[in-house]
Amino acid sequence: MKRFVLLLRNEFVLFRTAIPVHMIGIFQPALMFSLMALVLVTPTFDMQVTTPQTALEYELVSLMEQVGSPIGSTYINPILVDSIQGQEFTGGQLIEFQGDDRNPTALQRFGLIDSNMVKNFRNRLTSAALLMWNISLGNRAVAIRELPWLPRDIPYSVYFGMAMMPLAANLAGALIGAFLTAQEFEFNTFMELRLSPMPVIVFAAARLLRLGLTGVLSGLVLMVVIGFTTGAWPTSIGWVMLILFAMGIIGGSIGTTAGLILQKTLPAFLVGLALSFFTWLLGSAFGLAAGFSGPYETTSRLMPNTYAVELLFPLYYRIGIGSNLTALLFLLLACMIMILVTMVFFRHEQLKT
Amino acid sequence: MKRFWILFKSEFFVWKQDPITALGGILPPALILIAFALLFGGRLSFKVAVVNQDEGLMGSILRESFDEVISPLNNLPYYLALDMSLEEAMNAYQGYEVEGVWVIPPGFTRSIEQGDSPNISMYFFNYNDDRAKNHRIYSAEIIWNFYKKIGFPSPPLEIAEEYPRSVMVDWVPVIAVGVALLSVSLGSIFNIYALTNKEQTSKMTLEFGLAPRSLAWVLVPKVVLALFFGLVSGTLFLVVIYAWLGFWPGNYIWGFWLLSGLTALFWIGLAIVFGLQAGNYMAGAIAIVLTAIIVFFIGGGLGLIRYHAEDVQWYSWLFPNTHAIDPLRDLVLFNAWPVDWDITVAKLIGFSILSLSIGIAYTARKIRHIR
Repeated sequence: MKRFVLLLRNEFVLFRTAIPVHMIGIFQPALMFSLMALVLVTPTFDMQVTTPQTALEYELVSLMEQVGSPIGSTYINPILVDSIQGQEFTGGQLIEFQGDDRNPTALQRFGLIDSNMVKNFRNRLTSAALLMWNISLGNRAVAIRELPWLPRDIPYSVYFGMAMMPLAANLAGALIGAFLTAQEFEFNTFMELRLSPMPVIVFAAARLLRLGLTGVLSGLVLMVVIGFTTGAWPTSIGWVMLILFAMGIIGGSIGTTAGLILQKTLPAFLVGLALSFFTWLLGSAFGLAAGFSGPYETTSRLMPNTYAVELLFPLYYRIGIGSNLTALLFLLLACMIMILVTMVFFRHEQLKT
Repeated sequence: MKRFWILFKSEFFVWKQDPITALGGILPPALILIAFALLFGGRLSFKVAVVNQDEGLMGSILRESFDEVISPLNNLPYYLALDMSLEEAMNAYQGYEVEGVWVIPPGFTRSIEQGDSPNISMYFFNYNDDRAKNHRIYSAEIIWNFYKKIGFPSPPLEIAEEYPRSVMVDWVPVIAVGVALLSVSLGSIFNIYALTNKEQTSKMTLEFGLAPRSLAWVLVPKVVLALFFGLVSGTLFLVVIYAWLGFWPGNYIWGFWLLSGLTALFWIGLAIVFGLQAGNYMAGAIAIVLTAIIVFFIGGGLGLIRYHAEDVQWYSWLFPNTHAIDPLRDLVLFNAWPVDWDITVAKLIGFSILSLSIGIAYTARKIRHIR
C-alpha cells in the first residue's frame, strides 16, 4: 500500500512536467461550453415579412408575435421589410402577401436554405396562421391543452452543459493519459517500469486513479461554469463526482492504451481526442438518445456517455428517466472493461525486452 | 529552386514516417461526420402515443393526420404516432419511451359538430426548450391538416411556399461541408506538427538557429506540404460526400480549394509558432486542434450562418472558417456562385497573410535567439 501511495504521489508530481497540457485538459471543456452556450439554438427566430397593407395582414403579424411558449420564449420575431433585391433573401425567407380580398395568401419564399431551416420557418408561419383560423372558427376551433412535464421550459444550454460533463472528464483523462504514457516511450523512461519488480497492476492503478481524479476536476470546473451561467446546479455533488470519476477512468484508459500502442505523443493524442468527441456526440450530447432515430439510439447504448448522462439527468432535473441501476451497472462494466484492456497492454509492454 | 526541391523531398520522407498523424485531417472529421449522420440523418419524427377515446369519426381523422403531415426534414411525418390505451401511454411517457402523449377525449366529434369548444390534451417533455418548441409548432401542422380534412371553412389567410430548387438540401449535407472544411483545417494542422515533430524530438531547432541562410528554406516546404495534405484530406471528404450524399462542386472545385486552402494557411501560420518551439510543443498542438474543433461548432459548422449572422458571436468572426463556410456550401451544395465571393476571398487572403507572416517571423526570431 505504501508503494502504491508513493506511486500515486509521483503521478501527481508528474503534473509539473506537463502543466500546459493539464491546464488545457482541465479547463478547455468549460471554455468550449462557455463559447458554445452563446450560439446554441434559441427558440426565437427572426422572420422577415413584407410590410402589411390590409387589416388581415396586420393581424397575421400581430399573431406571429403571440406564437410561443406560455412558460418560455416567444418563437417569432417578425421583421418588417419593404421589398427584397432580386433573389437575395437576407433572412433566409420572406413572407409576401398575395392574392385578392377573396383569396388572400401568405407566400413564404425561401432562400438557399436547408430542410431543417425550411421546417422551422414553415412551422412558425403555420402556427401564426392557425391562430388566425382558430379565431375565425370561434367555438368550433380545437384547443390544445398543453401539459408539459416540467413547470417551465428549461433552456437548451442546461441539457447541453450537463451532457458535456462526461466529455470533460473523459477528454481530460484521455489527453493527459495519452500524453504522459507516450512521453514514457519518447524519453525512454518506460524502461524503468520494465526493470521494476513491481506488478504492472500497481503502476496502472496509480495512473488511472490519478487520471480519474483529474477527470473529476475537469467535470467539476464545467459544473461550476454551468451553474453560474444557467443557474442549474445538481442535487448531489457526491454523485456527480462518482459519475465523473468513472468517465475519467474510461478516458484515462483510452488515452493510456493509445499511448502504449502508438508510443508517440501526437498520434496518441489524436486517437484520444477523436474517441472522446465521438463518444460524446453519440452519447446523448444533443438530447436524450431515446428521442432520436433507432440507429442513433442503438449506437448510443454502446457509449458510456449515454449512461453517465442518464445518471446526471435526475440530479439536474429532479426527476428520473429509465432505470438508474441499469445505467450505473453499465457504466461500471464499461469502466472495468477499459481498465482490463489497459492492464493487458501495460503488461504486454512491460514484458517486452 | 533545387534547394527547395531537396528540402521538399526530405520533408515528404519525414511525412511518410508518421502515417497516423497524417490521418489527423481524416480520423476526427470522419468520426464527427458519422456521429452527426446518425444523429440528424435518421428518422427524426417525434415518437408520441395517441390515445383516441372518441367514439365518432373526428378522432380517427385526427389520428390519420399524424401519418399524413410530412416534415421537410427527411421527408417523413413529424410524428411517429403509436396507438395506445391511456394507461399504456402514460407508462411509456413516464419511462421516456415516447416523447409525448396526445389524448383525444370522449365526445370529441360531438364537441366539434356542436361547436362546444373541443379540446385535446398534449403531454410532452420540455427538458429542453428546443424540443418543447417543436412539440408546439408541429401540433399546428397537424391541426391545420385536420381542419382541411374535415372540411372546415377555409382559413382567412391561406399559406403557400416557394423553394428555389427542385430538391431541398437536407441538414446532414450542410453539416458535411462544415466537416470537410474542418478536415482541411485539421489536416493542415496535424501535418505541420508531424513535419516539425522530428525537429522537436531531435533538438534540431538549434541547427536551424545556426543556419546561415534564411529560415524560409526550412519553413516554406513544410507549409506547402501541410497545405497540400490538408487539401487532400478535404478533397477525400468531398468524394465521400459525393458518394454518400450526392453533392459535388463540379467546376467549382477550384473555388473549394481556394477558400479552404486560404483557411488552412491561417491555421498553419498559427500552428507553426508552437510547432518549432520546445516546451510548448504538445500543449500548442492540443490547444490549436481543440480550437479548430471549437471553431467548427461556433463558426457555422452545424448550420447556415448567413441568415443568422446576428446570432454569431464576435469571437467566431476572428477565425476564417466562419467567413468561408457559407460560400463553400454555395459551391458544393447549391452549385451556385457565392454572392459574397470577392469579399470572402479578400478576407481569407488577409487572414492567411497575417497569420503566416506573424507565425513565420515570430518563429524565425525565436529560433535565431539561441540561448
